[in-house]
Amino acid sequence: MMGREAEVFDLGYQRYTGLRQGRNRARWSLFVNGVRTLLGIGRGGKSKILPILFFISAMTPAVVFVVLLAFIGDLVEAAEAGDFIPGPADYYGIVAVVLVLFGAIMAPELLGPDRRDNVLPLYLVRPLSTLDYLGMRLAALAAIVLVLVYSGQALLMAGLMLTADVPLDYLRDNWEDIPRILLMGAVITLFISLATLAVSAYVTRRAFAAAVIIVIYIMVSTVISGLTFAENCTNTEAGFGDEFRLDGRDCDYIIGDVAPYVALLNLSEATDGINALVFDLPAQSPSTIALEELPDWAPIGMYLFWTALPAAALWNRYRRLRL
Amino acid sequence: MRYAVFMPPLLEAHSLTKHYGRTVALDGVTFEVNEGVTGLLGPNGAGKSTAMKLFLGLIPPTSGSALILGQEPYRSPEGRNRIGYMPENDCLPSDMTATEFLMLMAQLSGLPPSQARTRTADVLRHVGLDEERYRPMHEYSTGMKQRVKLAQAVVHDPVLVLLDEPTAGLDPDGRQEMLRLIDRTSRSFGISVMLSTHLMGDVERIADSVLVLESGQLSQEGAVASLTQETETLLIEVADGVDAFAAILAERGVEANVDGALVVIEHAKEEDYDIVRDAAVDAGARLRRLAPARRTLTDIFRGDRS
Repeated sequence: MMGREAEVFDLGYQRYTGLRQGRNRARWSLFVNGVRTLLGIGRGGKSKILPILFFISAMTPAVVFVVLLAFIGDLVEAAEAGDFIPGPADYYGIVAVVLVLFGAIMAPELLGPDRRDNVLPLYLVRPLSTLDYLGMRLAALAAIVLVLVYSGQALLMAGLMLTADVPLDYLRDNWEDIPRILLMGAVITLFISLATLAVSAYVTRRAFAAAVIIVIYIMVSTVISGLTFAENCTNTEAGFGDEFRLDGRDCDYIIGDVAPYVALLNLSEATDGINALVFDLPAQSPSTIALEELPDWAPIGMYLFWTALPAAALWNRYRRLRL
Repeated sequence: MRYAVFMPPLLEAHSLTKHYGRTVALDGVTFEVNEGVTGLLGPNGAGKSTAMKLFLGLIPPTSGSALILGQEPYRSPEGRNRIGYMPENDCLPSDMTATEFLMLMAQLSGLPPSQARTRTADVLRHVGLDEERYRPMHEYSTGMKQRVKLAQAVVHDPVLVLLDEPTAGLDPDGRQEMLRLIDRTSRSFGISVMLSTHLMGDVERIADSVLVLESGQLSQEGAVASLTQETETLLIEVADGVDAFAAILAERGVEANVDGALVVIEHAKEEDYDIVRDAAVDAGARLRRLAPARRTLTDIFRGDRS
């Protein structure tokens, strides 16, 4: 028996009568789009190389620390002997450079193409404000940076626990490190995300934006570190990891007494000061001793300044953008 | 008991003014736009793009108000999920495919991902980009890009779509195709259209009503049919004996201008029609056309508002 032949009917245009989820859906979609852009999802293999390399780079200090811990053996003994034991606070100091490089290279991808290809008006005629747009771009970058910093810290924490005689004892004795890690991760993430996005807001081409960020961060920091380098302190000859805390304020600086204030301009120290406060650490290098001569709130003020400035620059750029 | 549902106009401008520094882009214009296709006509610099940006909430008004579906789009972004916009300039991310881009645009208008995917496929089929939907958009021709721009404007099924110079940069075939698509968007899809252009032919062909902006002020508004209504000018086309025909008209007191086979009588009266008929018979001229002239939007644009 022959059945009826199949027919294809064109139903024509159909009106959409389904769910409309409003502004939060728009925000979330923009956030997801940003994350996909940063991770190269939906793009060719080449787009995924950089995120993978940065993930490896962010994990490397944690892996090295864990290897060091394995060689140290008894942590309690080592601590009593005054040996260097790598910990969560040290990780942030090292990984910051990797995160800045990540932000420098990836943040321009979030803002540049939208401006270059003139896509922004299409976003902003939908239920999104300029603040929503910038907020979601910031959130996307911050989410990836957070994943990088917390992954490394999680690995390091696991290493510290596993190299301790009784892992749970280590966790019980050092539980305070967990909120510190979380707080400091958020602090460093906000700073790097805002700073790199702010530069990307003014420089459209990725290579230029990345170059500007690296030059500002590394060159300026190097110059200021040089100018505020502490000399003639009692233990500046100490080895890596040794404390530089001084009993007296007896350091000399190339630029004299203004060194502590000039040190506030040092971008690389913007988060180190908070790190020292959060983890209750002494100065980590001769170039940060100058900051210790300032009141305790100075690092917080310095951090707030260095996050508020790029935030204002970012907002100013987009507020004035002719759409 | 039945209650009447108040539906605000799609667009409302009340004393809408926009200054850029000392430049007045829009100067206190007041108008409404309702369903159908509305043409926003005006020369470059007339304030068309500024008006569109005000209605889209991209810029704030200096004074007055621009309402879209009864809401101020600049202050309440939520109200923008039922409007679409197709800009004049290039606006497509070069490294994305049309499918990716439209899905994102649909979700940015509040559609859930699964619905956005379905709508994307449907809309790309309707604009004729079914085959090319997975190609990066930097490989597209100008005509294809224009169609993607239209597709992203309607992917979320808006009530109203604002199109800024949609036929700009297209060749004659591409222009016809785009006009056909816009016409379909309104007639078949049921989406109202506001079309900003300086090409009167585009508006005459597809618009139901028109707003004419000149130097930031509204100079004309109304239905295209009423603006292009019949005039008192009578157009006559005859095949042979045009000179004899014109001479007889003159003898009978009807002043006519001859331009080739076309004879034009300005300010024609009702009885002139009979005189024309008789003169054609007497001159042995074959009458091919006898009709009152209609004003074109070009006439309106040039200031001929008689």
